[in-house]
Amino acid sequence: MSDYAITIAGLEKYYGSFKALYGVNLNVNRGEILGFLGPNGAGKTTTIRCILDQIRPQKGTIQVFGINPQVNPSLVHEFTGYLPGELRLEDNFRVDQQLKYFSKLRGNQFDWSYVEELAHRLNLDLIRSIKNLSSGNKQKVGLVQALMHKPDLLLLDEPTAGLDPLMQQEVYKLLREAQSEGATVFFSSHIISEVEALAERVAIIRGGKIVKESTPELLTEMAIRRVKIRFLEPIQEDLFNAIEGVTLVSSRNGLEVTIQVEGDLDRLIKTLASYPVKDLVTASRSLEDIFLKYYESDPGEVT
Amino acid sequence: MIVELIYTLRRNRGQIFGWSLGLVLYSALMSSMYSDIALIDFDAFLGYYPEDMLAFFGESFSAINSPHGYLDLYFFGYMTIIVGIFSVGAGAKLIVKDEEDGLLDLILAYPKSRSAVFWGRVFGYILTVMSILIVAWLSWAIPSGSSGLNLTAGELLKPFWGLLGQLLLFGSFALLLSMLLPAARIASMITGGLLVGNYLLIGLANINQDLKSIVEYTPLHIYQGGYAILGINWDNLMIVLGGVLLFLLLAWWRFLLRDLRVAGEGGWKLMENFSLRKKK
Repeated sequence: MSDYAITIAGLEKYYGSFKALYGVNLNVNRGEILGFLGPNGAGKTTTIRCILDQIRPQKGTIQVFGINPQVNPSLVHEFTGYLPGELRLEDNFRVDQQLKYFSKLRGNQFDWSYVEELAHRLNLDLIRSIKNLSSGNKQKVGLVQALMHKPDLLLLDEPTAGLDPLMQQEVYKLLREAQSEGATVFFSSHIISEVEALAERVAIIRGGKIVKESTPELLTEMAIRRVKIRFLEPIQEDLFNAIEGVTLVSSRNGLEVTIQVEGDLDRLIKTLASYPVKDLVTASRSLEDIFLKYYESDPGEVT
Repeated sequence: MIVELIYTLRRNRGQIFGWSLGLVLYSALMSSMYSDIALIDFDAFLGYYPEDMLAFFGESFSAINSPHGYLDLYFFGYMTIIVGIFSVGAGAKLIVKDEEDGLLDLILAYPKSRSAVFWGRVFGYILTVMSILIVAWLSWAIPSGSSGLNLTAGELLKPFWGLLGQLLLFGSFALLLSMLLPAARIASMITGGLLVGNYLLIGLANINQDLKSIVEYTPLHIYQGGYAILGINWDNLMIVLGGVLLFLLLAWWRFLLRDLRVAGEGGWKLMENFSLRKKK
């Protein structure tokens, strides 16, 4: 068996003459939660659909727990729970009928009481008609069907889309519980706070290529932050140019200065120690900064 | 496969009920009128009709006061078009409707092969069409004695085989087109047009002999209609069923090899649809 839950190497996918994936390389460790971050159209869904063999790449290989999904898709699907990005359900069914249909597709090989437990935790009414459900409640049905057989691999395309903040927290809890039971979670998102809250590792995809792979902590360490300093008396603005990683953004008569700092604040603080500082405000670093850094010159959308 | 078969039947239950009810009411009305029509001297009556109109409807017009001519003119002749519209729509939507809606994405992420999904649905579709025809057959067979048709259930069953063959032929062709064309509605529209066109062409060929050579190669040309009561042409029926099988196999092959579409994806890029996925 492979050490990785998912191995993707040199994945290229064209839609007609349009190139959607430009050689995606990505390894997902067993038992980890990996956030697949990217804006709409970056290639997240295309990658997930290739993993499930719903579409075939022109180049590259994929292995899921050492199995090629193109050779044995049913086996891969057997231990995978999938939530599509655009979830559609059968409007003429009730929630329980829809879930029982999905359960039959898996050969009824699991405990229905777990479905009831999941529905209870997500506050989902099992006897309501699908057509009367809000988009958030439909998303809950999608989550229940992905989790109900306790899969080894969860492929979730924007798992909390349409859910209120309380339910989002419950979903994070459910996914962490799944991980603690040994599941690997691969989820795509364009919501940075979600990735920060849940992922152990992040892969950023841009224009069909992985541009960064790291932990959320390391990524935020690298993020640029803004610092506003007020001085008791005017200072020489060019002192900031001498500090590595610091860029002056604006200054008001040398009394109120805004700077950008890349990396940690140690050198800045030590330099400021010899000046009369009245106040210092620093914006909290977030993954959003690094995300925007990678996307500020997005070349265009990918399907 | 069984799960998909039941799922298809369940989804079509409203269609089965609606179409069956309509056919029961129509058959009841038409069979109640036969005893009166059988007594009319149609030779004198038909003399008042324009020759072209009589030619358009073919020989069944002159045989209207016989059970097979009456059934052909008032039931089997029309049903290829009427139930055919349902069959074509159901065939075109069988797989691709869910694909266009984005539901197939999820279904095919379950441990069921594409073949199981395809054939489960195809058998569900065939059973749906058969269910409607069985109800129609019963609604003619049960009052057959009292209506004056005096045909046995077995005799009445014969023309239904030909009708079933034609409905499945056009339905399976719509299914095949839905795999090749970018949208189910385009497949349905084209096949429906071919069905209606074929029906009109058969009638027009009775008026214009030049059209006969074209009509000979169309499916409805070998459709017996009510005349199958006098004896089924098994060769023609096998040709039609062979065509059904061919279209289904081609559609299946195409479904196995192509990418699943995303909801809303598509366009008139027909040639791109022929590019095959590489098997690893």
